Amino acid sequence: MNVFIDKGEFVFFIGPTGAGKSTIIKLLLREEVPDKGKISVGDIDVTRLRRWKTPAYRRSIGCVFQDFRLLPNRTAAENVAFALEVIGKPKSVARRVVPEVLELVGLGGKEHRYPHELSGGEQQRVAVARAFVNRPLLLLADEPTGNLDPDTSIEIMRLLDRISRTGTTILMVTHDSNIVNQMRRRVIEIENGQIVRDQARGVYG
Amino acid sequence: MRAKYVMSEVFLGLWRNISMTVAMIITMAVSLTMLGAGLLLYNQVDVIEEYYQTNLEVVVYLDRDITPEMTDQIKAELEDSGYAAQVQYESKEEAFERFKDTFEESEDLVNAVEAEVLPAAFRIKMNDINDADKLIADFSEREGVYQVTNQRDILQQVFDILGGAQRLTLIVALVQGIAALMLVANTIQVAAYSRRREVAIMKLVGAPNWFVQAPFVLEAVFAGVIGAIFAFATLIAAKFLVIDGEFADLFSLMPPIQMQSILLLLPILTGISAVISAITAWITLRFNIKV
Ligand SMILES: Nc1ncnc2c1ncn2[C@@H]1O[C@H](COP(=O)(O)OP(=O)(O)OP(=O)(O)O)[C@@H](O)[C@H]1O
Ligand SMILES: [Mg+2]
Repeated sequence: MNVFIDKGEFVFFIGPTGAGKSTIIKLLLREEVPDKGKISVGDIDVTRLRRWKTPAYRRSIGCVFQDFRLLPNRTAAENVAFALEVIGKPKSVARRVVPEVLELVGLGGKEHRYPHELSGGEQQRVAVARAFVNRPLLLLADEPTGNLDPDTSIEIMRLLDRISRTGTTILMVTHDSNIVNQMRRRVIEIENGQIVRDQARGVYG
Repeated sequence: MRAKYVMSEVFLGLWRNISMTVAMIITMAVSLTMLGAGLLLYNQVDVIEEYYQTNLEVVVYLDRDITPEMTDQIKAELEDSGYAAQVQYESKEEAFERFKDTFEESEDLVNAVEAEVLPAAFRIKMNDINDADKLIADFSEREGVYQVTNQRDILQQVFDILGGAQRLTLIVALVQGIAALMLVANTIQVAAYSRRREVAIMKLVGAPNWFVQAPFVLEAVFAGVIGAIFAFATLIAAKFLVIDGEFADLFSLMPPIQMQSILLLLPILTGISAVISAITAWITLRFNIKV
């Protein structure tokens, strides 16, 4: 497959299970390295990225998953701060940025709740906040609404849309036809590892 | 800030898995104690060798009923043989004095021996100690000579015993060391498993590899250092309680083990232990936490 995604685009990846959508996300994160082919993000050739440079590369990418991936023993604010802490940002930065970004995702006032004290939608907001707190140029989302009810899903999509407007490129894998049909963004359909459709302002089909 | 996080993770990790931590520290301590003892013995052999290098003598013990004429004759022959640099006569009385000096602290032994039983002897400083066998061959069968001994042969026995003890300690150190390292690898695996969420998230958000690995490596290093300190304490205790205490008589035949050489073991053991633990942990992580 050959695909080019411009800066600031919002792209849906759809396709049947086993098509290779999550694999694309893994390749972009350099969790997997392809046997052949080339993947570039910005001016970085991910396929030829040295192992030790991977962490620095990943800092320019945000990531959201179906299963939230929050630390259960940390509050919403601490979960977001953790992402800053482990890449060496000083505490003063976290104190300033974390409330800001939690406010942005609509969790103002719930900063000190633990994940088990939050609804699924709220947990996913924390995950989005964590992915976005470093202002990445690229945000990857693998079925971010997969565990959420339709209303909550739409709220998360509004949030991603808002982030998209800040100039962040968003790649989202989804099975949710309603979302795709409502958003009317570029849709890339994959089957068996091949692109079968690439449509601007597309629908689930 | 990050250092504080790493340290709290280290102690949390060790505490969460406390039985394994204790097992790890004990095996490390045993291994390092044996290694330390082996090193001390190695050093001891050197010290003894140096001590006797210049003092080695061949001793010609004379028959108890030897006549003064015969004694003079043997003396003359020894001096003419060309091997001896210096020939010194030691009478029965002198031999007894020397015996009393040597076993000063064992009164019972001294009281049990009569001055008469110790033979008179010639103590010979050799021109070349390597000629000792020739001299022994020439004189041991001579009339009036009871026995000729080369101190180096006796020393050789001491060396053999020390060498054997040293090999034994090093083998135990090696076996225990392997067990300790397997425990380290296991502990690290368990720790990595119990922290897999944190690790996954850290890698996802781009935490540097050293930062992801630091808590695990430091856990192993910490256990290694504690193990080394225990081993050091054991060796100190052994010096005071065994070598200088209970069995002082036995050990007084050797030059004493210097406090200094034991103190030197602290940095050596700690260093070896910390470095090897860290490497083991790091290698374990390379197989467990792929980036
Ligand atoms: N590590 C792997 N090694 C070999 N094959 C794999 C590996 N991971 C996934 N696959 C295979 O690659 C194909 C694509 O998997 P992928 O996870 O990308 O599917 P997907 O499109 O995300 O599906 P779903 O919608 O169910 O999440 C599948 O057939 C899967 O079995
Ligand atoms: Mg998938």
